[in-house]
Amino acid sequence: MTGAEPAILDDLRQLLVTVTGRPDLGSVAAQTPLFGAGVGLDSLAGTMLLRQVQRRYGVDVAAEDLNLDALETLGSLAAFIAERVGEGPWPEGQGPC
Amino acid sequence: MIKCVVWDIDNTVLSGVYLESPDRLPDADPVIASVLRELASRGVLHALASRNPPEAADYVRQVTGTSFAAARCGWGSKADAVAAITAELDLTLDAVAFVDDDMIERAEVAAALPRVLVLSPEDAADAASWPQFGPAVVTDEARRRAEMYEQRRRRQAASSKFAGTREEFLRQVGTRVTIAPAVAGDAARLHELSVRTHQLNSSGVPLGAAEFGVLIRAPGRLVVAVRLADDFGDDGLVGAAVTELDDAGTWSVPLVMMSCRALGRGVLDSLLGWLCRSAARAGARELQVPCLVTERNVPMRLALAAAGMRAAAGAAGADGRAIFARSLSGELPPVPDWVTVETVP
Repeated sequence: MTGAEPAILDDLRQLLVTVTGRPDLGSVAAQTPLFGAGVGLDSLAGTMLLRQVQRRYGVDVAAEDLNLDALETLGSLAAFIAERVGEGPWPEGQGPC
Repeated sequence: MIKCVVWDIDNTVLSGVYLESPDRLPDADPVIASVLRELASRGVLHALASRNPPEAADYVRQVTGTSFAAARCGWGSKADAVAAITAELDLTLDAVAFVDDDMIERAEVAAALPRVLVLSPEDAADAASWPQFGPAVVTDEARRRAEMYEQRRRRQAASSKFAGTREEFLRQVGTRVTIAPAVAGDAARLHELSVRTHQLNSSGVPLGAAEFGVLIRAPGRLVVAVRLADDFGDDGLVGAAVTELDDAGTWSVPLVMMSCRALGRGVLDSLLGWLCRSAARAGARELQVPCLVTERNVPMRLALAAAGMRAAAGAAGADGRAIFARSLSGELPPVPDWVTVETVP
């Protein structure tokens, strides 16, 4: 795990709350599957999450990951992003696009 | 009454993408250009919200001959842009409509600002005849179509207030999904869906009504039509799948498509779950969905991934398609109990 990963994970939890409208997901575990029972990430919430990730970190997960395996859990998504940016989230409005 | 329409630029006001064609900038969409003029003549204001450099707004002014009361160009959210424009023009959100070809952008704005009337470009062309845009004459048909949007707005408002899971919300509002073999009378609507769906379309190839007519009758093929309703209203035929029933133990699904009306309402997940279970019941060992891999249909790829389907790495072929497949042994994706299946052979 790189130094930035915990910060990215916290940021992703907030994004997940925003795209699903479910405050209870603000404390979801890093290993909880995003698809299927529990979080139940669907194509709408999933696409909104990927777009937020692209805006904030400049990482286009869908372009790099054909099977979207990065979306298995928030932990795997955080690791995928950390490998590519190494830094924390960009300040609002300053991410590369 | 709508006093201001906020327009997206790429593939909405322009028939193309501004930044993708620097040598030959895209023309104005002729239908939207006439809607802009018609609404302006009634005193409706126009504004722009776009992920483009500010020059794009100047270009749109020139090419449409329309003046825009406000423009927000940048990488922020469209919901923020619409809210900022509403404040700048001293309007209330009920008096604002937003038009974008991208259903995810529309969903984001609808979720953040449920009082805004959110339209696709196809529907914006029609909307000029709706009562809330102040036409000289309002037909019963226009009133009926405007009411469908009002239903969506009420559903969105209820969804935004709901605290539980999406599944609980869908159950509470009486969501009903019906999966049934398509009949000849469905061909025209299936054609319309195949032309209009981009983000939830696996093949990316539009088919004519006559082609659907042939597929519906063809032996060894199964075309299923998916209908959707809930306590807010009936959306009718919103999606379909074309399946090839292979004797060798594989069901291949060359087309899955779903209307944006079904987005976020569990319909595509239900259809994929049903396809897995039907194929398994028929003795197939694998389900395959060849899917065009594009930037636009990421929502379709997400639904396939959620149904446990995977493609071989680097598998997108020369035609841009990858075959997403899953084994039909073990645990299959669920079909919620609000899904009704009419007799399928």
